[in-house]
Amino acid sequence: MTQNVLVELSDALADAAEKAGKATVLVNARRRMPASGIAYAADLILTADHILEREDDIKVVLADGTEVSAKVAGRDAGSDLAVLKLERAAAPVAEVTKSPARLGQIVLVLGRPSPDGIEASLGTVSAIGGPIRTGRGGMLERYIRTDSISYPGFSGGPLVAADGAVLGVNTSGLANGAAITIPADIAWKIADTLSKHGRIKRGYLGIRSQTVEISDATRKALKREQGTGLLIVGVENDSPASKGGFIVGDILVAVAGVPVLHHDELFTRLTGDVVGKSTPIEILRGGQPQTLNVPIGER
Amino acid sequence: MNFNGTFTQVISELVEHVMPALVIVRGHQYGAGAGIVWDANGLILTNNHVVGRHSPVVVLQNDGEYESRLIARDPDVDLALLSIEATGLTPLKPAPVSPRVGEMVFAFGHPWGQRNTVTRGIVSALVHAQNRRGDTLPIVRSDTPLAPGNSGGPLVNAKGEVVGINAMIVGGDQSVSIAASVASDFVKKAIGNGISMNKRAGPVPNDVI
Repeated sequence: MTQNVLVELSDALADAAEKAGKATVLVNARRRMPASGIAYAADLILTADHILEREDDIKVVLADGTEVSAKVAGRDAGSDLAVLKLERAAAPVAEVTKSPARLGQIVLVLGRPSPDGIEASLGTVSAIGGPIRTGRGGMLERYIRTDSISYPGFSGGPLVAADGAVLGVNTSGLANGAAITIPADIAWKIADTLSKHGRIKRGYLGIRSQTVEISDATRKALKREQGTGLLIVGVENDSPASKGGFIVGDILVAVAGVPVLHHDELFTRLTGDVVGKSTPIEILRGGQPQTLNVPIGER
Repeated sequence: MNFNGTFTQVISELVEHVMPALVIVRGHQYGAGAGIVWDANGLILTNNHVVGRHSPVVVLQNDGEYESRLIARDPDVDLALLSIEATGLTPLKPAPVSPRVGEMVFAFGHPWGQRNTVTRGIVSALVHAQNRRGDTLPIVRSDTPLAPGNSGGPLVNAKGEVVGINAMIVGGDQSVSIAASVASDFVKKAIGNGISMNKRAGPVPNDVI
């Protein structure tokens, strides 16, 4: 038996494909080629939203070849993620990585677009970026790019580390057809919300703003090293912002205790738990910090 | 064969192991493909589509050029078996078992006429294709870059065993190789057709220029 570092690496990659492949399923919810999904729980499949072209008659084929009917438990176009509920709990659950993806790391891209078996391609993590605004009206805090080939039907499948743990969810639906990966920690958080509430809440304030520098004197009053904030240049009538007391000329500097330096960060801060709740928003008015309690609306 | 040492060293040892079995299969009219030395006494395996209407010329790694004799060809599995008057060649062995998705593979050939090229990838999928006869043909798909001139060359695993015969390119992305098991069966059948390997009367090799 020939054994060396090359054979060991080759075996490890095949082991990783086999291990993660067990939790990678086929999702048939469109007329063209089926796509892929990941077993998030024994009865829940995490997949890409854009591959669900119908909500009736969704079929999931598991690694062992059994076909199970599924219903949409929740979906979110903004993050291009969806959760399907299987008719019965049957899927071996994916193992999620404990260490996030690193630049240069060897990775496998897996998919199951055909009932013939698992499919894979090899690459390295070539970039970790974000936040970016997705082409579908959402905001992605972080994304992973690789140099591996994404074959047709790979959307919804996992990016896998050499030990077989899932690093993220692959999709070609967020960046004009280019394949990117939603990191597992973000995807799992969204999947959790989708499986419980069916959708992702996106907050609404009713302001228009632009990024401005904060002067040294004002920064002292603010008591932290924050270089920029958002100058309010418009407040819509009857909006949460106007009800909360916002006026043109205020500089928004933090939401719920988290500094906001750019518009994209405000976008990120206004999703999730704050929606529908009175939330403390820190502003500068006349150079002095103030806190407004604003009932965040929903878009 | 025993590979030891660092990753880079191991890969160059793999290449040294496989390269002697890689040949050029040159048609008389146009184009050239690759071929694999299948036994020490001059059996050369290649793609059927590489072999034109006449028996092609086989060029070994030592630049020796040989007129070949066509032993068997089958367009339905896209394989052809040639023989040349040469002995003491270094053949490759087919892998004893089917490859696994994810395992590393290396393609050897002459893409775009660039002689003795090696490209790397992994097994992407194990699928079955239907041929014109209606038979299902086991296919090894990989993410290994292939190009015209790779046809007929070997796809080997990390141990240097043949897992496939590189056949064609689909959509530029998925490279396709005919499973080594198909090649083994094809060769067995061809030899079993009453052709004695010792008594074949092939033409003499050309002068080496």
